[in-house]
Amino acid sequence: MSRKQVWWLVWLAMLVAAGPAHAHSPVPGIEGFYIGLLHPFSTPSQALLMIGLGLLVGSFDVDRARWHLGAFLAVTFIGILAGGGFEALDATMFAAAFLAGALAALVPGKLLPITIVLVIVAGFQIGAASIPDPGPTRDRVITMTGSMVGANVGLVYILGTVLFVRERYPWRWVEIALRVMAAWLGAISLLMFALRFARVDESF
Amino acid sequence: MLHRALIMLLGFALVLAFPAVPVLAHSGEGYGGGFIAGFTHPILGWDHIAAMVAVGLWGAFMGAPAIWILPIVFPLVMAFGAVAGIVGIPLPAVETGIALSAVVLGLMIVFAIRPRIWLAAVIVGAFAIFHGYAHGTELPTTVNAFAYAVGFVISTGLLHLIGIAFGLLVKWPAGRVAVRGAGGLISLAGIAFLTGTA
Repeated sequence: MSRKQVWWLVWLAMLVAAGPAHAHSPVPGIEGFYIGLLHPFSTPSQALLMIGLGLLVGSFDVDRARWHLGAFLAVTFIGILAGGGFEALDATMFAAAFLAGALAALVPGKLLPITIVLVIVAGFQIGAASIPDPGPTRDRVITMTGSMVGANVGLVYILGTVLFVRERYPWRWVEIALRVMAAWLGAISLLMFALRFARVDESF
Repeated sequence: MLHRALIMLLGFALVLAFPAVPVLAHSGEGYGGGFIAGFTHPILGWDHIAAMVAVGLWGAFMGAPAIWILPIVFPLVMAFGAVAGIVGIPLPAVETGIALSAVVLGLMIVFAIRPRIWLAAVIVGAFAIFHGYAHGTELPTTVNAFAYAVGFVISTGLLHLIGIAFGLLVKWPAGRVAVRGAGGLISLAGIAFLTGTA
């Protein structure tokens, strides 16, 4: 066993032994920012949509990424200003996540106009779903700022990860794995959409 | 050098053993319970297993692009079947359709049939509707629907993967016989499901 392998084992052992984290806000009054930061990943619909968008946009060449990210930034901002009504949005976000997953699985890197429209619709939905409950304006603005940052940085990281994996490991099976992952995500999203539509389970 | 590293590792393991955190047991409810229920649903039904593995086997037997198109098409179409089950759209002879999927896909492997990719996708997709419907009708009653959906989609994908892994044996003459033999077994199992003897 080489020294490098031993260090890997040590690292793995430490990872497995991780205890619960006791986080706290370093700046008083800014807790809402952290809540907002995680909000785009706080419900299944939003998390599936964010990952689906990352897989879809990541199936295109890296040159296209800035246009997708720019569009997403603009529409999340518009969504935060104009949106609202999470209940109704939840179902439509599942539908958008299904479309993103299906496109990424069946026609990756193609149908650019449809992808841009989907990014715009999804960005608006994520923004609109990030409006906090009524309260002091300052707190709401801080939370919404956190949501804006969380959604956009989150997409950058998901997209970046997909592009990095594709570039770093240019093997055929990597592309296939990404498409299979997108198909699974699409299938899960469609099921959740149907459940919302059927309104048979309110526990998720 | 190696011994020192191993001693260090053992030392680490010893240190890590001390700050043991309490075990947080759960009762199988919530996300965990839903995931396990969904994950085990395709695995605990032999008819599902046979058909899922057959999809992977047939894909591997046909080679690229079927090897990856079929496992992509299946979950997406299966989800439509599940939607039909959830919203209550009647679908006749669901169990028959599931059993037939094992028979037909098994025969495709036995006779080494290689249709055009679109036709293979249509055949697999048609059977996926029945499998999805069966999953969908059980989905709403589970603890957590999202976790259930994640569980059964991943489980289905992994069964395909097992089929693909086994199907890759077709590169060798003996492996080809083994894969076609497995297709025969799946087909026979399908007949058993169809006639109610299994």
